[in-house]
Amino acid sequence: MTRFLAVSNRKGGVGKSTISVMLAHAAAAWGRQRVLLMDLDTQCNASLMLLGGEGWEKASRSGQTIADYFYDRFDNVAGDESVYIVNNVGDVAHPRTAPGRVSLLPGSQQLEDVQGELYLKQSKKDLHADAVALLVRSRMKRLMRHFGMDYDLVILDCPPGLSFAAHAALDMADQIVVPFRPDFVSQFALDRVALLIERVENAQQLASIPFAERRYACLPNCLTGAGHERLLIEQIALDHPLLTTRLPVLDSIARAFDWDERKKTMEQKYAEALAHLRKLHTEVFAGTHRRSKSA
Amino acid sequence: MRKTKALSGAAQDAYFRRAFKTHSNLAAEEREQLLRSLKREIAQLRLRLEPLPREAVTPKPAAAVDSPEETSVPQAAASSTSFDPFSLNVVVIVRTLGRAAALAALAAIDREEDLRLLAREQRLSVGPDLVSLAQLRAAIVSAAERRVANRMAAAS
Repeated sequence: MTRFLAVSNRKGGVGKSTISVMLAHAAAAWGRQRVLLMDLDTQCNASLMLLGGEGWEKASRSGQTIADYFYDRFDNVAGDESVYIVNNVGDVAHPRTAPGRVSLLPGSQQLEDVQGELYLKQSKKDLHADAVALLVRSRMKRLMRHFGMDYDLVILDCPPGLSFAAHAALDMADQIVVPFRPDFVSQFALDRVALLIERVENAQQLASIPFAERRYACLPNCLTGAGHERLLIEQIALDHPLLTTRLPVLDSIARAFDWDERKKTMEQKYAEALAHLRKLHTEVFAGTHRRSKSA
Repeated sequence: MRKTKALSGAAQDAYFRRAFKTHSNLAAEEREQLLRSLKREIAQLRLRLEPLPREAVTPKPAAAVDSPEETSVPQAAASSTSFDPFSLNVVVIVRTLGRAAALAALAAIDREEDLRLLAREQRLSVGPDLVSLAQLRAAIVSAAERRVANRMAAAS
């Protein structure tokens, strides 16, 4: 059965696209899974990491983007979804015998405009604004689910902020990884995204949901080892399930996403970050989120 | 046994003023200028409780400069005696055990400099004019409570 994994945080710059791509590579290379990454972010960073600038531009010109897919198929238009997908993306070499590979539904800078247009189209049907928003979201969810048949894992790289597509992704995901940088404002961002994911209105309602029943787990990212980071992580662990994996600031992660057409092994690509990625892969895909209280 | 004492804020300023007064060749205006510059650049200094003998700080000839291995030992010793401002998480104690427990935990810290360092590093805002250790501890705990309330308000 296809698993839908969202990587989300309303705060920008926390590493959502980087982690989406790392998990896609890991699931394909080590989990031998057929992976589709959907780039829902109009910054298109995951697409640029996997296709390079020219590859992404070519895909955009060919109408192979998420915006094209939503726009073309929104009104139940039948067709072959695979024409929007770019297969075998990225620069990690997978053994020919292995089924694992990464495919991409590329992102688009037009996605926000398309969402606005789809909303306006639906609002002509004498529906209340909330009902129109719900309709747009539910159609988007259905369109995303279409890919469930062809892949073992669909990774939804969510945008910061709350577009219809982001709402739809959070609604439909089986599991959500929420990366964060341990700084003061990140606490607020985590609280807010947790309310959305768990569909509750305030911190008290959220606290009534046991960690083991929550769909999300938070991932501390870009750690420098400073003392205040540990304090903030301990504070966050009081309210949110945390993964035990901690991703430090590493040159090898930053360099891993300099576009390079040459295929390489996971060891060559991720170098000193490999051990961290192995741990993250095991933890996320074994479903062994540590629902920890404070350390 | 404690070998150094941390100075920051007003105590650090007072130390610099005392030290500058021993240099009579510095004009008052120059001393103030120097003090302002040091205040900008230095967050905390550590003072030896027992000053080294004068000959120990006399410059050596270039060839006799200590190797990194030799100098690393006293640095490690000094850092092992220094106060760790992250040794207790005030916000977590307030959240999990309450105000009284946080005050009790802070009671183990008996130097103003250390309490102020903890407050600064844990981003718990306390006033500069608090005179007693008890006031300072209470202000730290109140700041932690405000932090918690702030976060709860934002998540409503």
